Amino acid sequence: MTSPRLLVGGALLLSGVAVLAIGFGSVAIAPGDVVSILARQLFGVGEAAQGAGATSIVMELRLPRILAAILVGAALAVAGGAFQSLLRNPLADPYVLGTSSGAALGAAIAILLPIGGVAWELGGVQLAAFIGALASVGLVWRVAGIGSGEERIASVLLVGYAVASLLAAALSLVMLASGANLRAIFSFLLGGLDGATWPRLAAAALPLIAATTLLALRGRALAGFLLGDEAAQHLGVDVRRERRIAVALASLATAAAVALAGLVGFVGLVVPHLVRLAVGPDPRAVLPLSAIGGALLLLLADTIARSIAVPVGVITALIGAPFLLWLLHRARTGYAL
Amino acid sequence: MQIDPSYELIGARNVRVEIGGKLILDEINLKIGVGERVAIVGANGAGKTSLLRALSGTLPVASGEVILCTEPLGGLSRATIARSIAVVGADLVLPFATRADELVALGRLPHGRGPSGPTPHDRERAAAALERVGASHLAARDVRTLSAGEKQLIAIALGLAQETPILALDEPTVHLDLKHRVEIADLLVSLADRARTVVAIFHEIDMVRQLFPRVILMKLGRIVADGSPDSVLTAARIADAWGIPQERAARL
Repeated sequence: MTSPRLLVGGALLLSGVAVLAIGFGSVAIAPGDVVSILARQLFGVGEAAQGAGATSIVMELRLPRILAAILVGAALAVAGGAFQSLLRNPLADPYVLGTSSGAALGAAIAILLPIGGVAWELGGVQLAAFIGALASVGLVWRVAGIGSGEERIASVLLVGYAVASLLAAALSLVMLASGANLRAIFSFLLGGLDGATWPRLAAAALPLIAATTLLALRGRALAGFLLGDEAAQHLGVDVRRERRIAVALASLATAAAVALAGLVGFVGLVVPHLVRLAVGPDPRAVLPLSAIGGALLLLLADTIARSIAVPVGVITALIGAPFLLWLLHRARTGYAL
Repeated sequence: MQIDPSYELIGARNVRVEIGGKLILDEINLKIGVGERVAIVGANGAGKTSLLRALSGTLPVASGEVILCTEPLGGLSRATIARSIAVVGADLVLPFATRADELVALGRLPHGRGPSGPTPHDRERAAAALERVGASHLAARDVRTLSAGEKQLIAIALGLAQETPILALDEPTVHLDLKHRVEIADLLVSLADRARTVVAIFHEIDMVRQLFPRVILMKLGRIVADGSPDSVLTAARIADAWGIPQERAARL
């Protein structure tokens, strides 16, 4: 099957799963009712046959959360796939440049600050996480010299690891000093979409959607990187420029995703590999399909997380880690990543 | 074959390249026309790969000027360069499982725009390139599982899929056994024609004598001889370029 058909099929599947997920919960709403509520509220089509309660549950509680899961899952999978192509490393994920540690440290500091109240509601923690994520990427970018034309892939990975370790140590210190707030920090670390309200979604939506979409459309440049920097140049890719653009977009998408959902692991690592199994390694196919796949995986994981009241990061790790082990096992027995 | 001597496919005028203050290439002057078949030879470290990189714009020149298809290379975009010269590198290392035909289709990158994948035309050109090197039977194989000789064929097909007037190769026969060396050498001879100039770095002096009408000999970053194999590959020059006794060089 060609990738445009897979894209259309995937988008339809995602829409269907989204309708089912909106209806799913302690108050179950039939898919038909979900569709008519959405049609009336979003497009003004049809008449009010459902109660105000159901409408409020769909529009105020579930829709923002489902949209957040879709956007965050898509962003993480596209960013992960882009980093894997750019760094030519199957184990790269969206957090490879220290984004996760930076975000966690930013969030932890914000949780400890006596801001509370209004700032909390408006997403002070999310903003701090966003800034922390971008700051760590900025540090890695500076130290590893990304875009200078002289950076080495191994050194980018090592600098990312070093910066992440440093920030993780700082995070541990903050957690030790956090006392009663430890639980709030912990829940950020585990990842979850409980806090995905309309205002927070609206704040994160622009960088999430813009960076993910632009990155998913840059597969042509990233395709050249599959053979290495020198070969990419011979295939007409402006390596320095494209690397800067891809790292900036992937980091922005990841930072916005982390700010909204905390540290959700494995989506960005596993989904691009699944897509490659289906369509091969060309990022022009891998990135758009990863957006759909990441959205689907996080939506499903979050629906499970909601029903058993466990953070979604735990669910994605429970699904993702065995899958990764299976991939590695296959790598040893024939098919290589 | 009629070659228009005024059409300068590749040119270098007083090209000098430095890396970190160290002189890599100096006083490089050359002119290569349409349909020529040129071997670049010299000892390790003589600057052969650097010369190819300078001529294809991946190594910036400190002074002098490189000409590609009659235009100064400095003013050309990477995509324009990639539509003029295809460079077949020393080895193919891939991070993910990749079918040979998918890989060869990447040669079409400089001919397209936008986010969409290979067009039917691109796939057709990739298949034709695979067929040209006699590797159609490898199309569905994971490149990472191929032998060194098979990989080299795929790498050349990738270069052919770029459909450039110049095909440059960096040691296309290295690590290959005699059978594959002969195959690749014969392929290179058959590829050079009015539409395509072949420039290759080669180590096997005997093959160079047989296959390349023109030889460029390099030593310490300079071109020390440029001409027919008989005029360039004399015992005295070989002895000097590789640092071996002249009586030994006479037997090569």
